[in-house]
Amino acid sequence: MAKEYFLRMGDGEKIFMTKEQILADLQDGSADAADLASVPALSDDDMDKILEIMINPNRIVGVEPGMEVPVTHDIGAIRIDGDQGNSGVGIPSSRLVGSMMHERAFGADTMELGHIDYSFKPAKPVISQECQTMESCQQNMIIPMLYGAMPNMGLYYTPDGPFENPGDLMKAFKIEEAQASMFHAAEHGIRDMVWINQRLFKVGSDGTNFDTIGAAGDGDMYASLNAIEALRKEFPNMYIEAGMAGELVLGLHGELEYDGTVLAGLWPHEQVKLIEKAGANIFGPVSNTNTSKSSAWNLARSVTFTKATVESSSIPCHVNMGMGVDGVPMLETPPIDAVTRASKAMVEVAGVDGI
Amino acid sequence: MWKGGYNTANEDLYKELSDAVVSCKKDIVLAAVENARGKLDAPDIIENGLSAGMNEVGIMFERGKLFLPHVMMAAGAMQAGVDLLKDEMPDTATSGKGTIVNGTVEGDVHDIGKSIVSTMLQSSGFVVHDIGRDVPIMDFINKVKETNADMVGVSALMTTTLGGQKDVIAALEEEGLRDKVKVMVGGAPATDSWARKIGADCYAENASEAVNKAKELLL
Repeated sequence: MAKEYFLRMGDGEKIFMTKEQILADLQDGSADAADLASVPALSDDDMDKILEIMINPNRIVGVEPGMEVPVTHDIGAIRIDGDQGNSGVGIPSSRLVGSMMHERAFGADTMELGHIDYSFKPAKPVISQECQTMESCQQNMIIPMLYGAMPNMGLYYTPDGPFENPGDLMKAFKIEEAQASMFHAAEHGIRDMVWINQRLFKVGSDGTNFDTIGAAGDGDMYASLNAIEALRKEFPNMYIEAGMAGELVLGLHGELEYDGTVLAGLWPHEQVKLIEKAGANIFGPVSNTNTSKSSAWNLARSVTFTKATVESSSIPCHVNMGMGVDGVPMLETPPIDAVTRASKAMVEVAGVDGI
Repeated sequence: MWKGGYNTANEDLYKELSDAVVSCKKDIVLAAVENARGKLDAPDIIENGLSAGMNEVGIMFERGKLFLPHVMMAAGAMQAGVDLLKDEMPDTATSGKGTIVNGTVEGDVHDIGKSIVSTMLQSSGFVVHDIGRDVPIMDFINKVKETNADMVGVSALMTTTLGGQKDVIAALEEEGLRDKVKVMVGGAPATDSWARKIGADCYAENASEAVNKAKELLL
């Protein structure tokens, strides 16, 4: 009987596969990404390298010496304190303490301050508190400290915001009204994101992390790109990281453009070109995990998207290795065997600059 | 003038009509329909031109090349093209192919796919009574009784409203109509296996398949 190796499904379930089955899944996963995004599939050498990583008998794997990359932690400031069903550990601590623990105990290379709602819009009414905490962090820490939040344009639509929900409008076949609502929401989103970052930068923030861009479709991407452009013009030295929500910009509006490029339907290697134009320093590519496929299929697919992105990018790419993305299973606290394998493949095969 | 059948000129017209729908622009579709009128029969324009374009839109939607607003705009543009041909459609009242009641279940406001199915069935010679969207169960039953329908088409586009298809079948049984009426189900969450599970006579994935299934069951 052929030897079987321990892998996981995209939902984290433990599975066992032979080397041949793993290789077949690696090829299928890579072919899927190549077909969707019209990018090259992985080479045989790349496949062999990922196979080697997947069947490594150790529970935890790491990169080869000399290939270490910077790591940061989104919303890590509340990861220690958080105990509301997120991946926090429920140890009472301030955001300053959480950030300092990441810096001094966990080896984070950069950190970000994040609000419990982790979206720009709800940070507006508590901006004074955010500025106060940012200032405290900056006075106590050495590593770059950004402010992080999601553009989350969904909060601008009813019932959470002032603009009529495009989903409701489209159900009533009011397409033009839905598009107008998305555009107006984006204009407000741009204004809010710029305003919040202006204040935080004035109290010493090193920059900002736009996290999960595109979560509310192309309107979300439109707002983020324009906010990045405005911030870059006003603050030439601001450090701006732009991370995506998913592999494809969904066309909820369908016709929004940035610099003459239609945003709907962009894949990671195309997204990064607009992020560069807008003026960000770092791009965070994301590809989605399919929970019904093996970690081999998912990882090869993600590495294919990401490798093409790294190759087409002229700014550093820091891949998002969180739950349910980039070859990591969809679990609140993803298993370390899968996270380390996916991370190693991203660094050594896709060539990412950071995580 | 020769109409129908395949030749290069027809294929060019089909392509123009199909591309017009893929463009999602109503004015382009209307211009393509105007150009094809007199050269092709109305059902031919709809089936081999406009519907072929809608199928292409569906494929592009699945591939992430087009999105929901595009699909809706394309469907709206196609509907405008179909409306332009209304007077040139076959006289269905005397066609004798069968009478079909078609609607979207209660709680579900999706209309476009169901309307395209109605149009395609009508253009294929069936007498179609489109009772709209968000239709209460008893309205299906009453319309079947009123029109002495041979088939009822029940559409649902959401998993939350899919159960409405089962409810319509149960109501037909309660009213003693089930043996006289064929039931076709469709919509994004419906499947062949779902149709079998709830006791429908068939499932149709798209408008063309709906026509073929209706012909199989009624003719």
